Amino acid sequence: MEIENIEFTYKNGKKKVLDNISFKIEEGKITTLIGANGCGKSTLFNVLTKNLKPQKGKVLLYGENIEKIPLKKFASKVAIVHQYNTAPNDITAEKLISYGRIAHNGFYKRNCDEDEKCIKFAIDITGISDFAKSPISQLSGGQRQRVWIAMALAQNTKYLFLDEPTTYLDIKYQIEILQLVRKLNKEYGITIIMVLHDINQSIAYSDCIIAMKDGKITANGNQDKVITKELLREVYDVNLSVEEIENKKFVLAV
Amino acid sequence: MITLMLLALFVLSVNMGSIHVTYGELWSGLFIKYNDKVAVILDLRFPRIIIAMIAGGALAVSGVLFQAVLKNPLADPGIIGISSGSGFISAVIIAYFPALFFFTPIFSFIGGMTACLLVYNLSYKNGFSPLRIILVGIAVNSVFAGLSSVFNSISGQNYQSASELINANISMKTWEDVKLLAIYTVIGFIFALIISGRCNLLALEDKTVRGLGVNTNILRAVVSVSAVLLASITTAVAGTISFVGLIVPHMGRLIVGSDHKKLIPFSALLGAFIMLLADTIGRLIAYPYEISPAVIMSVFGGPFFIILLKRSDKTYGN
Repeated sequence: MEIENIEFTYKNGKKKVLDNISFKIEEGKITTLIGANGCGKSTLFNVLTKNLKPQKGKVLLYGENIEKIPLKKFASKVAIVHQYNTAPNDITAEKLISYGRIAHNGFYKRNCDEDEKCIKFAIDITGISDFAKSPISQLSGGQRQRVWIAMALAQNTKYLFLDEPTTYLDIKYQIEILQLVRKLNKEYGITIIMVLHDINQSIAYSDCIIAMKDGKITANGNQDKVITKELLREVYDVNLSVEEIENKKFVLAV
Repeated sequence: MITLMLLALFVLSVNMGSIHVTYGELWSGLFIKYNDKVAVILDLRFPRIIIAMIAGGALAVSGVLFQAVLKNPLADPGIIGISSGSGFISAVIIAYFPALFFFTPIFSFIGGMTACLLVYNLSYKNGFSPLRIILVGIAVNSVFAGLSSVFNSISGQNYQSASELINANISMKTWEDVKLLAIYTVIGFIFALIISGRCNLLALEDKTVRGLGVNTNILRAVVSVSAVLLASITTAVAGTISFVGLIVPHMGRLIVGSDHKKLIPFSALLGAFIMLLADTIGRLIAYPYEISPAVIMSVFGGPFFIILLKRSDKTYGN
């Protein structure tokens, strides 16, 4: 996926929220967007996922401008898990996950074998088979998040976008989700693009980190090289020390 | 279960009122040989009973669709002004262009769509805020209801059928009205059933639905048009009736859950049952006077709805 000279301003807004953003997302890698609140990373996420139209520039998926790709076709190539999700309390996890197949089905014709295979895969890999038949209201936050990821996986795409997949979760579930993300990437070759808040988790689980500030990209590259004391000061406006333990970088975020 | 209850109520209701016959007489009068009393029942009571049932079903389904599309448990075609919009236009058409009788539903639909577009346009601001929809809806509703009252005061005496419509009086309905209502409602029901699976998606976040490859704007438009169709046709024939579209879907959700594939057909039957019950009670409670089912619905519906809300944590738990 290539992003070329994106500019975005909200209606009635004066400031450019995204200012001439260009980068390339490498296939088969985990790319993480970081930055302070209001830096434009959520806006960028929405532009990349066809929820907002940029005023200038374009996003290319396999060389094709995503604005020209119909929603349904886009959904068969790119799956998205948004930060905030709602569902009726009595719907079962399995039913929700089956919605992931809509992009591959016509209004009447469907491919049941393929559907079942993808749904089963999504349920198994996210480890939710024990409560697949339970209503969503009985699940914990961490379980629910896995259900939403499973729904996206049922779309059977090569690209998976995650907007702050660990927000609102306890540390145990955060790690669970991130390990799942890594597994999807390493074992199934799914290209992952995610927004994360935790810098250490970004370093630990990404191949590439893109740091943003005021609608511009301030750093883009290998997770070990990008994160420095100077960058953190520039992006987050705080002084934090960055230490190396066994050749791995850690930010002391206290 | 609900079907049986509806049938039982239908059978009971047929024989309630000023003329009594035994069920044997009724049977033979209907299917074997002519009987004066049965003929009167057939011409006067049957049409209103059938109209009450169809109207109740249509309003209930319309309520389900509006609640889904607006993500608002308080949405009801009566409350947000759809019914009064179509009621006003229908009354005007019936009064001044009686020759267009068979096309009243079309004008009624135009009235309903006008009200619907007004509410949507005035309440849309970065998405539909549940509160704003209801507030704008109440305003639109009161304008159209007011216009209807004005129209009724000025010309009610001269145009009796228009006045009946405004007051939601269904006591003088004929088989002609039944035919009119049935034809258009069946179209609405079929639409509602076809889109019932898609309605489930509306409960998810818009962005998530788009991510699944479904255009939420088109989906909204289709569901809205179906909802307006059902509400406005009912209004064109039976007048403005509130609360059915609000209460029935909630009862339905408590009983069969929120899956629209079940909820829509169930609400249709339950709506028919409730409305026929309201009409039958209205006929009996102050006999020989008749109380409009719309009034009964408001009087009994309100408290019942509050009890339902208080007792249930299944749908509104968190």
